[in-house]
Amino acid sequence: MSTRADVPRGVGQATVSTVRRAVLWVPDWPVAAAMTAAGLGSEVPAAVLHGRGMVAVSAAARAAGVKRGMRKRLAQRACPELEILPYDEGRDSREFEAVAAAAERVVAGVEVSRPGLLMIPADGAARFHGSEEALAEALVSSIADYAGYECSVGAADGLLAAIVAARNSALVPVGGSADYLASLPIDTLVLAAMERQHREAVEDLAGVLSRLGLYSLHDFTALPSADVLARFGPAGMWAYRIGRGEDVRPPVLRRSEDDIAVEYVFEEPAQRVEQLALVAAHVAGQLDAALLEAGVRCGRVCIAARTERGDSLERVWRTDVGSRSGAFAKHMADRVRWQLEGWLSGTSQGPEPAPLVSLTVTAQDVITLGSEQAYLWGGVSGADARAHRTLERIQGLIGADGVLSVREQGGRDPRDRVLALPWGQESTPSRRIEHPWPGRIPDPAPATVLVSSQPLALLDAGGQPVTVNRRLGMSAPPTWVRLPVDPRDERMAAARRHPSSGHVGDVGEPSWGLPQPIESWAGPWPVVERWWAPDSTRGAYVQIAVREGPAVLASFSGGAWALEAVYD
Amino acid sequence: MSGDSTETRLARARAALGAVHQKVGVERVPDEAPALPLAEALGALLPQGLRRGQVVSVEGATSLMLALGAAASAAGSWTAIVGLPRVGVVAAARRGIELSRLALMPHPGVQAAQVVGACVDGMDVVMLGPRLALSHADRRRLASRARERGSVLIVAGQWDGANVSLKVESSRWRGLGSGDGRLREREMTVVVSGRSQGSRRRVNVTLDVDPGVAWARPGARTVIDEEVA
Repeated sequence: MSTRADVPRGVGQATVSTVRRAVLWVPDWPVAAAMTAAGLGSEVPAAVLHGRGMVAVSAAARAAGVKRGMRKRLAQRACPELEILPYDEGRDSREFEAVAAAAERVVAGVEVSRPGLLMIPADGAARFHGSEEALAEALVSSIADYAGYECSVGAADGLLAAIVAARNSALVPVGGSADYLASLPIDTLVLAAMERQHREAVEDLAGVLSRLGLYSLHDFTALPSADVLARFGPAGMWAYRIGRGEDVRPPVLRRSEDDIAVEYVFEEPAQRVEQLALVAAHVAGQLDAALLEAGVRCGRVCIAARTERGDSLERVWRTDVGSRSGAFAKHMADRVRWQLEGWLSGTSQGPEPAPLVSLTVTAQDVITLGSEQAYLWGGVSGADARAHRTLERIQGLIGADGVLSVREQGGRDPRDRVLALPWGQESTPSRRIEHPWPGRIPDPAPATVLVSSQPLALLDAGGQPVTVNRRLGMSAPPTWVRLPVDPRDERMAAARRHPSSGHVGDVGEPSWGLPQPIESWAGPWPVVERWWAPDSTRGAYVQIAVREGPAVLASFSGGAWALEAVYD
Repeated sequence: MSGDSTETRLARARAALGAVHQKVGVERVPDEAPALPLAEALGALLPQGLRRGQVVSVEGATSLMLALGAAASAAGSWTAIVGLPRVGVVAAARRGIELSRLALMPHPGVQAAQVVGACVDGMDVVMLGPRLALSHADRRRLASRARERGSVLIVAGQWDGANVSLKVESSRWRGLGSGDGRLREREMTVVVSGRSQGSRRRVNVTLDVDPGVAWARPGARTVIDEEVA
């Protein structure tokens, strides 16, 4: 490879296979999407704020002096009427679907590289439209007509040249990419990095290169490639190849499949579950037929019911329609019944129960038949299918909420760290596991986590209750612990009834076991959560090992001790 | 007859038994049910491994139940936990149970027998809580169903006729001091008995092995303080 750099540029390029591509770029996409979502006109100065700085700035705001990366205060000083919008990656991708759909009216396949940037293999499309200019014109007018955004289109060989060409609305002639790129500054490389982490890595690389005195892409790509790989690793090699106008991978085209929805409107509002289940079976049959007709299958099904008051109850279920060809209608009817029974009887959360006016079943994650992903080796194993069938059967016996699937989520105390959902239902954890969660109770995790905390008494050597003050000082080292016993335990109940235990009869207090000697303990560890919100908690945790027995996790808050978990 | 040595009598008895076997055509195969994978640390508890079709009862430690099922779950088995609403899911995950192949049925209620029966049919490892509404007849039926289907029942509390019963006699935690340290490592003394186990024996098992325990010895600080004083 190292001899390649000595070869004249034109010859080196000839050996590299690149894809001629057209790139469609919507300037300032995050802010354009946010303004559309907020219903603002393009003349309003707006910016999207993420973390401490602005990530995207609209044209009007830029004219007023707001720049990317500016802090909120500075931006507001430059432009007091600036509309500051929140950052939302989901919204960016969602809104961009409209642009991708508009582009697909002109060309057959597009790759969404990132929200705001579309990539189209130009050869075939340009031949179909007559020329690249005609293709660019058709794309720009289609986006403006159907999606309502301004965009610019460029075409070149290779990834980076095409992206730069799109930003300049240029059409680089075939084979001219390397010369087109040569004079550009080194930080142009960042434009070709699509994911955030990758972009940060490339930004760092560009910083290092410019400090080394390599200011243009030509300076960088003139280095011997072996030295680049040795000094900068795979990231450097990626930048090197991109900077030479090469392609790292061919564009991956998507084929869009719309969600398929079937709606049933009740002639008069329905309130009885049986009635709804019948309709559900009917709707599911229709959906099954629609899926079959389109030659697709779906990964998830969303069931939405709308009430007279305008509320709607929506849940997404994971399902595999393709594998249960005949049983889909019954399967769906069960899901609808589970979802609505709990809601109409008022046991599960949701809007206030009211008669329903319509029921919609939507197939999501639609994929063409035969293109679903199986395991690397073989299909879905027999044991997996058997287990799924078993769990669905049990759900039929004891209800959807009786069978839970669990996932780990972020949190500090052991109870918060679990997300339990009815088996088959889809949802995303609200507490991210990657966040640091300072003050988390250290591993090993307790094997028994109480569903709700129980009272516990922690006594010092003299039998006085131990307390923790605001500065996390213990009033005395804990020496005895009294755990509550199961009220159903007859021996303990008898002991409690005995006059020698101090009181007679049930006084509504927990039944205490005998005091047990504490062998060792650790803590108190403070945990203060959500101090800014009304549901704030403030407490301290202690780990206690009882002699010859299990260890327990106890919490102190509001002047009382509680048993949280048992390490049994 | 009385003059024969024990060896010759034994040899004759064996030969007679062999003749009967040949005549009837029944050769008793040793119980070779395939075993599910088991963590190495627990090998002392179940020397034959976690054989399919067995009932293992565990008294006094939820973590031991989770540890028994962990290696099998990590290797691709499905696990159901019935009637244990307080099981620590994070602990299960840390021990190696794959949460995507785990289903919890915390409150099966009066339908416990049907639910456990369905689980035995469809899942590989089924863990049962101590307070399930199962009669003796239900339990016998479930055990024979598990034997037939080749799934393993791991039961909290007593279970008559369990193949192996493990009872935690005592457990000692290391890593805690007096107000310092944290729970790190635990040693349990487990009494192993059961139908196919022969005589009772005591086994020491260490769970949550933590190499840091050796140098973070609890109470080290206090000892030094006493010496200075």
